[in-house]
Amino acid sequence: MQPLDPTSLPDNDNIPGNHYAYCVRLTGQLFMQTGRMIAYYPAPNGPGIRFEPLTTASVSGFVAAQFSAPLYARDWVVATGQGHLILGDRGYDINSYDLGDGNLTLRAANLLAYDATLELKQSIVPGFLTLLGTGKFLASSSGPVIFAEPPIRVDPQALVGWADCPSPSHHYDAGWMSGFLGGAMGMMFGVQSGEERQYDFTGAGTVLLQSSEKTLADPHLVQQLEGQVGALDVPGLSHLQSVIAQRLSSQQQH
Amino acid sequence: MPFEQVNGKVVSVPVAPGREVLARRGAMLAYTGQVQFAPVRASAGGMGGMAGRMMAGEQVQMMVAQGQGTVHYGYRGMYLTIIEVGQMGPLTVEADRLVAHDAGLQATLVFLGSQGGIRGAVRGAVSGQGMFTTQLHGYGTAVVLSHGGTIALPVQPGQTTTVDPQAFVAHVGQVNADIALNASWRDAVGRGSGEAIQLKMTGNGTVYVQASEQKI
Repeated sequence: MQPLDPTSLPDNDNIPGNHYAYCVRLTGQLFMQTGRMIAYYPAPNGPGIRFEPLTTASVSGFVAAQFSAPLYARDWVVATGQGHLILGDRGYDINSYDLGDGNLTLRAANLLAYDATLELKQSIVPGFLTLLGTGKFLASSSGPVIFAEPPIRVDPQALVGWADCPSPSHHYDAGWMSGFLGGAMGMMFGVQSGEERQYDFTGAGTVLLQSSEKTLADPHLVQQLEGQVGALDVPGLSHLQSVIAQRLSSQQQH
Repeated sequence: MPFEQVNGKVVSVPVAPGREVLARRGAMLAYTGQVQFAPVRASAGGMGGMAGRMMAGEQVQMMVAQGQGTVHYGYRGMYLTIIEVGQMGPLTVEADRLVAHDAGLQATLVFLGSQGGIRGAVRGAVSGQGMFTTQLHGYGTAVVLSHGGTIALPVQPGQTTTVDPQAFVAHVGQVNADIALNASWRDAVGRGSGEAIQLKMTGNGTVYVQASEQKI
């Protein structure tokens, strides 16, 4: 096993023989999710590499304007300078994708980094982010990514993302939901597995799948739901309160 | 062979009338076509069987996929191995590790104690597996879970293949598994390291082991 040689690191490729680590050659600015960088080598005789939060004054207004996902702003930094960055994520496979004047929506936890030429927006699907424009980005997946064409129905946990707008919607298995067993199971477990609820993709485009993952606690989901509470009226709020109280008491019993 | 390996962690299978597939609840990743899912109750053994399952902690709910289409299966990013069940003999696997199988295969619950008396029961307790395992009979294909993939080791007559109980995933064929205690009972109470407690496989078939001692 050869130790890594900083002079012969790959430019924008996986570390040789390793799907789980990716080496980016930094030549300008790169948006990065915090906690995904495992090592970096500044270029010799270069200006070095700086990591700055998006709110820092030195991050120019133009670059900051490329990031319009306020919920996630604290999770992202801008890397500036010359050199190599090595990224990794939970031992997941990492792949680089080229986006050419297109749009792609990804699970927020699986997006590692993207060029400052791309624009990032919060998707209307909770927990997902949309990239717009032209440039490269890095995404991770539990096992290799499977590309599928709609029409297809996907377990929400197995979904990595989708490109070119194949309009996602929820699909509930009517027979299963209305059945007595389905109701009882829903009451007992409180969680829905992929068999009862899927994302339904129709229309033209591509859907990216992975083997399902152990879901991480997503702090943004809470924020996102909280943001939507403002749209509720009093009956809605009191209904939500009773639902939450019920869930809480059933969780505490276990 | 209906199951097809898409990559190390995902398999796909066509479903058609008469070719239903049973799979662990939550293992479905995606499907195309018109496929419906419904829970199935383990009828084998009736109420006693159910109680047995509850006791053994084997409460894995299976779902049947029926209709017309193609289903992708995977589970929590773990590795999947496709195993043919046929002339060789039945497949024995812990219910936790069984992801999917043809509905044509008949699943029965086996109490380990009946297989070698008290030693079998000890084996269950020691290896950290349930006291019950699932046996699949008939002709068809099954998919099992592992951490980091499996290696298939042959079991031949007149030759014993010994494996670490925690690395053991499944065995297929006319294979008899027996616990071998190379150590004092003290090790049997705690978590054995695999060196002290071993599974001795005799008979004719194949045993699958994973490259890890992690449970599901």
